[in-house]
Amino acid sequence: MTVANNELEKVIIQSVMEELAKKGLLSHKGKDQVMAAAMMDTPLVPNTESEEMVTFPPQEEMQISNPFNADAVKAMKKLTPARIGIGRAGTRPKTMSLLRFLADHAVAQDAVFLDVSEEFLRRMNLMSVQSAATSKDEFLQRPDLGRRLSEEAVKIVSEKCEKNVQVQILIVDGLSSTAIEANIPDLLPALIQGLKSAGIKVGAPFFVKNGRVWVQDHVASIVNSEVIISLIGERPGLGTAESLSAYMIYRPNENTVEADRTVISNIHKGGIPPAEAGAHLTDVIQQILAAKASGVKLNQQK
Amino acid sequence: MPESTNQRITSVGIDIGTTTTQLVISQLTIENTASGTLVPRVEITDKEVIHRSRIYFTPLLDRDLINAVEVSKIVETEYMAAGLTPEMIDTGAVIITGETAKKENAKAIIDALAGFAGDFVVATAGANLEAIYAGKGSGAALYSAQRHQVTVNIDVGGGTSNYAMFHEGKAVDSSCLNVGGHLIEFERQGDRITYISEPAETALKHRGQRLQVGERVTLPQLRPIVKAMAGCVVDVLKTSVHTELTKELLMTPPLQLAHPIRKVMISGGVADYVYALNGPMTMAEVTAFGDFGPLLGWELKVCLERDGFVLEKPEETVRATVIGTGTQSVNLSGSTIHLQENTLPIRNVMVISPFTSLIPETPQSIAEVIKKEILRLQVDRFEGIVAIAMKGPRTMSFANIDILAQGLLLGMHDYLCKAKPLILVVEADCGKVLGQCINASVNKPLEVICIDQLEVDNCDYIDIGKPLMGGRVVPVVLKTLVFNR
Repeated sequence: MTVANNELEKVIIQSVMEELAKKGLLSHKGKDQVMAAAMMDTPLVPNTESEEMVTFPPQEEMQISNPFNADAVKAMKKLTPARIGIGRAGTRPKTMSLLRFLADHAVAQDAVFLDVSEEFLRRMNLMSVQSAATSKDEFLQRPDLGRRLSEEAVKIVSEKCEKNVQVQILIVDGLSSTAIEANIPDLLPALIQGLKSAGIKVGAPFFVKNGRVWVQDHVASIVNSEVIISLIGERPGLGTAESLSAYMIYRPNENTVEADRTVISNIHKGGIPPAEAGAHLTDVIQQILAAKASGVKLNQQK
Repeated sequence: MPESTNQRITSVGIDIGTTTTQLVISQLTIENTASGTLVPRVEITDKEVIHRSRIYFTPLLDRDLINAVEVSKIVETEYMAAGLTPEMIDTGAVIITGETAKKENAKAIIDALAGFAGDFVVATAGANLEAIYAGKGSGAALYSAQRHQVTVNIDVGGGTSNYAMFHEGKAVDSSCLNVGGHLIEFERQGDRITYISEPAETALKHRGQRLQVGERVTLPQLRPIVKAMAGCVVDVLKTSVHTELTKELLMTPPLQLAHPIRKVMISGGVADYVYALNGPMTMAEVTAFGDFGPLLGWELKVCLERDGFVLEKPEETVRATVIGTGTQSVNLSGSTIHLQENTLPIRNVMVISPFTSLIPETPQSIAEVIKKEILRLQVDRFEGIVAIAMKGPRTMSFANIDILAQGLLLGMHDYLCKAKPLILVVEADCGKVLGQCINASVNKPLEVICIDQLEVDNCDYIDIGKPLMGGRVVPVVLKTLVFNR
């Protein structure tokens, strides 16, 4: 790039910046920073102090300009967390809806890749063991490893867990650690209270890291509980990353198939509130214990 | 689920008004609408009217005392006509409206109908409740939800016009005006006046017009007074600054008009004339039923259209209220129901809403609020049963729900000592866990009904019927709605 061109460039940048600053679209600090970067031909390093957080307008805010029936749009938006009634700019989404989409995607990725924090497990007084998957990457690449306990975990569970209880509760990170931290503090006490008031014998709940649903079969084979219930983070979507499922099975064995499990899904603050879910799961577990069956077999008995 | 996922119940609605008595029999389908992986949610999924009665004149002993024995005969006749026996009826509601909405009447009707359906709910409906039932029966409520347009239903009957405003299917406002088609009575198809009611006298006075019983009137003489009454009906829709006449004829506070009105529906006896192509041309046409209903209907249409209101045709006109009573009065609800079967049905449960804002933080302060409210309303002297209504716990956390449970037990301690059931109505989705917390904290069995996802802040009394769907839900009827909050 020649000097003359560079000079011309600087003049153009300067006048654009000043115009933007005049219109209030660029702070003075921001303008100086960009100018300095342009003059010195140095790469622009974002200044974290001057960076502002993007705050999204509330989801229910009208995004469509000149709606024919605003009440209808509001009513429909209330029915679904899906991205409807978000307006458009030509054939493209508006900046805000695109940013919201990207942000929600980031939240979903965090839910999968982050671990349930040690602090959380301590606070909830949960013993923690690991599946046969030794890392997040391995867990994601090898579903089979997430379905059984590591050798060390087998040892811990057989030493520390009470055997032959009626119900064993597992908390499993699955595909959303966020769901565990968001729901377990309200769900678990409600579930335990419900089971205890019903006079059901419950083993101490514990946490399985890098676990999938089937890991419950492995645990059940060790603790020999009648019913085993996994509270497991669901694969996050763009609507929420906090959704939790409860999988319950009556005495799983080598012939167990997916249809043998009873599931209650969509537990999160926008779905079934976690505390209420705990009370409902108590009912379901009582039914499973009475019927000595779960999943489709339970439904067929009804 | 252990119970079938689908149940049909037969419901009877009886509307006993100042002038007419009607009955409809409907079949309601109750289903668990949640998929298997969700918490069951039982809802009424279908309503079908299977029998419509004749329209009877209300049997009266005197001006406002109902002949309950005659009413029971009407019910008996109509059951027979529908091919049903009392055992085949699951639930029902009797609504007593207008001048006859008196306690003595309700008591007499309950006694007289005892053999026809034990679980009947009998409501002496205030004008507000009547208006809402009419708007639900006419289809205005559904229309507002399907088209997302605020719709006002005006049920114009013999003596009153009952307004109900619906927004997304919900009643948000109601009012009652003393204008109806029967305020002046005539010889049938004649022009001689046989009776002038008080509100009609008021309207005449305001117009400076004189009419007397026995006098013969011409259509040009009658039209202005009817026009004036129709004007009052529209006045309530238009503005909150009313003419002197409207003010005098209003029987309840006026509409608040918080939402702009998109559509107007007229139901009731005069509705058919609102939607007619031509107005009545002669006095004989006006007084076809011994009143001026046809002319009021027509003038109402003219007046509404002049002021730019868009009229929508209702699905039901003269039967709107009774259909609303029969098919719409029942709400299903239920979460935690720990009750002796024979405790239900419970009638006239007084709803108290002690918490005006956020629920306090500790059980003690929650209990204090409840005790204060119980003292204020003198609940201890009230023989009946009360229900405590609230939006929800302070937050949806288990800790807060448990605190609420402790607070409720503490605050209701004296009340519960009288072996009365604890009835809770919560708007938030936490009925099961709240009930569980309460049961976990008492050492002796307590009769608890904890209903959730039901808004009752607008109502004073509820009736709770016998459980359905294997004890999972109870039918709940909300009564006496007041919107002035």
